[in-house]
Amino acid sequence: MLKTAQKILAKIPKVTYADVRIVEKESEDIATKDGVVEALASSTSIGYGIRVLKNGAWGFAASNIITTKEIDRTIKKAVAIAESSAQYKAENVLLDHLKAIQAKYKTNVTEDPFTVPLTEKIALLLAADKAQRVNSKIVISQAFFQANKERKYFASTIGSLIDQEIIWTGAGLETSAANSNDFQNRSYPNSFRGQNQTRGFELVRELQLAKHAPQVGKEAVDLLTAPICPSGEMDLILDSNQLALQIHESCGHAVELDRVLGYEASYAGTSFLTPEKLGSFKYGSDIVNLTADATIPGGLGTFAYDDEGVPAKRTYLVKNGVFVDYITSRETVAQLKKAVSSYNKPSNGTMRASSWNRLPLIRMTNINLEPGTWRLEDLIADTKKGIFMSTNRSWSIDDKRLNFQFGTEIAWEIKNGKKGRMFKNPTYQGMTPQFWGSCDAICNRDHWVVWGTPNCGKGQPSQVMYTGHGTSPARFRKVKVGVVKW
Amino acid sequence: MLGEKKLKQIAQKVLTFSEANQTEVVMVVSQNGLTRFANSQIHQNVAWNDLGISVRAVIGKKIGVASTNSFEDKALKVLVQRAINLAKLQKDDPYFESLPKPQAYQPASQDVYRISEKERASAVAVIIKKAKAKAIVASGAYQSAVSELAVANSLGVWAYHTSSSVDLSTILLGANSTGFAAQVGKKAQDIDASAVAELAIDKVVTSANPIDVEPGEWDVVLEPQAVSEMMAFFNWLGPNARIYHEKASYFSGKLEKKVLGENVTIIDDPTHKDAFPMPFDFEGYPKAKLEIIKNGVLTNICYDSYNARRYKAKNTGHALPAPNTAGPIPLHVYIAPGTKSRNQMIKSVKKGLLVTRLWYVRVLNPRSLAITGMTRDGTFLIKNGKIVAAVKNLRFNQSIPQALQNVVAVENKLTPIASFESEMGINRLPALLIRNWQFSSGTLF
Repeated sequence: MLKTAQKILAKIPKVTYADVRIVEKESEDIATKDGVVEALASSTSIGYGIRVLKNGAWGFAASNIITTKEIDRTIKKAVAIAESSAQYKAENVLLDHLKAIQAKYKTNVTEDPFTVPLTEKIALLLAADKAQRVNSKIVISQAFFQANKERKYFASTIGSLIDQEIIWTGAGLETSAANSNDFQNRSYPNSFRGQNQTRGFELVRELQLAKHAPQVGKEAVDLLTAPICPSGEMDLILDSNQLALQIHESCGHAVELDRVLGYEASYAGTSFLTPEKLGSFKYGSDIVNLTADATIPGGLGTFAYDDEGVPAKRTYLVKNGVFVDYITSRETVAQLKKAVSSYNKPSNGTMRASSWNRLPLIRMTNINLEPGTWRLEDLIADTKKGIFMSTNRSWSIDDKRLNFQFGTEIAWEIKNGKKGRMFKNPTYQGMTPQFWGSCDAICNRDHWVVWGTPNCGKGQPSQVMYTGHGTSPARFRKVKVGVVKW
Repeated sequence: MLGEKKLKQIAQKVLTFSEANQTEVVMVVSQNGLTRFANSQIHQNVAWNDLGISVRAVIGKKIGVASTNSFEDKALKVLVQRAINLAKLQKDDPYFESLPKPQAYQPASQDVYRISEKERASAVAVIIKKAKAKAIVASGAYQSAVSELAVANSLGVWAYHTSSSVDLSTILLGANSTGFAAQVGKKAQDIDASAVAELAIDKVVTSANPIDVEPGEWDVVLEPQAVSEMMAFFNWLGPNARIYHEKASYFSGKLEKKVLGENVTIIDDPTHKDAFPMPFDFEGYPKAKLEIIKNGVLTNICYDSYNARRYKAKNTGHALPAPNTAGPIPLHVYIAPGTKSRNQMIKSVKKGLLVTRLWYVRVLNPRSLAITGMTRDGTFLIKNGKIVAAVKNLRFNQSIPQALQNVVAVENKLTPIASFESEMGINRLPALLIRNWQFSSGTLF
C-alpha cells in the first residue's frame, strides 16, 4: 500500500506541496447488557485522502475506491478545490520546514486483541456483567470491549514515506441502580466504556473486570441512599480518572494552536491562551507542569509520526505554572513565528485525522499533569475538610475554555484527614487559571495513570479522536463544590 | 450516486451469499462537500465520497453485525461471513423475535440537488465581504451532502430513499463579541447567504461590550437554535422506549400523565416536507407522524422492532443502525407553534434574557433530565420589553421538563435546525419564552 500511496502522489500535477494518506481500519465492538450480548460488531474501512497546497491554498479530496479512474478524479477534485479556495484567500498558506522521513512503526502489543477468540472475550464480559448484580436494586449491568487497528500509509512531496500501525484496546463496566426516586451509575475503571490504551488484550486481562464488578455494583446501590454532595467552597481532591478529563477540557483544548488562531471559531470556539501570553502567563501554581507527550508507551495518544509526517514529541505546555507552548502543526507554527518573533520551534507533531476522508487537524496527543511528590494516603491525611471526587459523569466548558463545570459519579467526605461517608451527585465549578492556581499537591508517579479519552470531538465535519492523559490525584484549595442539586 | 437498481442488485447479492436464518443489509452512499472559513478566508475545503454497508445476520435468536465500505464481491462475501461468524458466537437474545416483514411506505420526494465547491465558495465570499465591510472577522462552514439509504432483508423488505442537504452557518467575531446565524435546506437556492450574513452581523454588533449580570433565575427567550440544543437531549433521553422502560428517563411510568406545560405539544413528523422526510427507519420499518406530548401530556414513546417486541408495544419506526445501544430516538421533532411573534414575546418580558444559542450542553442526570451548558454567540438583557444591553455568557443548570413546564409563550413560526449532535434529522422549532431558567455562574466574555 505504501507503493500505492507513492504512485498516487506521483500522479499529482505540480503543486506547492501534497501528501497522500491511505488508511485501513479494523474495529471490533462487544457490549453486554443484563446478561445479553447486546452489540457484537466488526467493521472495516479503507480509503485515501489527497491533500494539496496550490496557489497558496489547500484542497482535499478523498475516496474509498482505489482504481486508476477514481484516483485521477480524486486528484483532479483536490486540485480544483485548492484553486477555488485560492480565489478567496487572504494570504498564502506557509508550511514550516520539515525533513523527509522514511520509517515504519507498529504499536507494541503483547497480545493482539483481534487474535483473542471472540468466545473468550464474550465469556469474560458476561462474567463481569453477572458479577455486578449484587443487589436487586441494580437495574442495568453492562460490560464493554473495543479494539481498533489503524494502518496508515503516508507519502508526501518532501519525500516522506511512513507506514504506521496503531492498535488500541479498551474495556470497562457500568452498573445502574434505581429506586422509586433516584437512578445512579457507577463505572470501572472509568466511565464511558472504561479504560483505553495503545496496548493489546493484556490491558483487558489486567483490568480484572469480574473481580471489581461486585464493588461497582455495591457502590451504585449505596449511592441511592447516600446524602447529596454538600455545597460550598472547600478543598477538593480529584481522582486521576476525573483529573484526566479536567486536563483534557481546560488545558488540552485550550493549547490547540489552530483554535487559538481562530480556525475552530466556527464550531468549538477559540481559547483564552492567546499568543501574547506565551512564556509569561501564570496558568497554574508553581507545582503544575503539563506536557504533551506522544511517546509514552501505552498512551492512547501515542504514535510515531503525525499525519504530516512530523515525529512524535514530548513538549512542555505549562512549566512550573507558566504557560510555555502550544500543540502545533506545520502551518500554524509558521504563523506563530510571524506573530511571536521569539518563537523558534518546529511543529511538535500533533496533526491527526480520524479517517482517510478527513483532513488532519491539531489533536491532543497525551496531555499530562506531571507527577508530584505526595502519596495519596498522606494527601488525604493532610486534608482537614474536603471532598474526594472520582469518575466523570458530566462535563461542560465555555468556548474559550474558562468557565467549567464537572460532575462525578461518586465522592467521599474528607474530615480531619480521613476519607469518610459517600456523597452522591457531586459537582464542582471554576475558572481555569484560578482552579489550576489553587493546586497545592500532586500525587507521585506510583499513582500516575495514563487514561484514554477515545471520544474527543473536533472539527467540521466532526472528527472523533483518541487521546490520552497521564495524571495522578491532586488537591485544589477552596473550590466551589455541590453547585447543582437535583 | 449509485441508484436504486444498482443498490438493489448489491443487496440481493449479499442476501444470496448469506446462509443465516434472516439477513438484513443496510447501505448508505454519500457524496459530501464542506467549505470552512476562518479569519475571513477559506481554510478548509474538502470533498469526499463514501459508502457503507452493514449486514445483520440472525441465527435463531443470535445476532451478529458486520460492516465495511466496499461493494466488491470478495469484500461482500467476507462481510456476510463475518456477520454469520459473529452471530454463531453469540448467546441467545430472548427478546429478539424477527426482522421486520415487507412494508409499504408513504411516498417521499426523491429529488436530489448537487452543489459545487465554487457555489459553496461564492456563498462564503458573500459573508466574508459583508463582514469585512464592518471590520468583523468571519468564520463558518458550508456543508453539502447527497445521500442514498437502502435497507433490504431476507423477509422481502426493500426500502430506498435519496436526499440532499445544504447547511450554511457562520460565527462572526467582533472585538469583544460574536454573532451566530445559520440556514439549512435541500438545495443551494434554499440558502440566502446574504441574509445569514446580515443576521450574524446584527448579532455581533448588538452583542458588543457585554455587561455582567448576576446569575440566578431569569425569564428567558430561547431562540430556535437554543431550543434545538436543549431538545436534542429531550429527544435522546425523553421519549426513548429503551430508557423509558429501564426507569432511567424522567418520563418513566408517566405515559398518559401530564408532564409538561399545557401549551407544549411535541410531535415527531418525518413526513413533513421541511423536515427532510424519511419514509422508513434503519431496519426498513415505515416512519409516520407520532404525537409525543399533547398539551403537556405524554401520549406516546418511540419504539423500534426490538423494543416493541420486548415491551409489548407497537413499533413506531424509530430504529437506528444496528447494533443500536442508544435506543429508538425521534429525528424529526417539532414543537407545535404558538400565537406570538418573537418580537411580541420579547415585548412581554419585564426583565429577562434573550439567548441566541446554547453551548456544550451535557446531561447532569438522566432521571431528572437536568442539563448544564453555556450561552454563546449573542446573549442580551431585556428590560421592559426592549433589548437594552448585551451580557456576558452564563452557565445554566436546568431540568428540561421543568423548563417545558414553565413555558409562557411559544413562537408562531418554526425554524428548521440542523442538529449539532446528529446529522440524521432536522428538527423544526420555535422560540420559547420560559420563566425561571436557572443560571449558576458567569464567564469573562
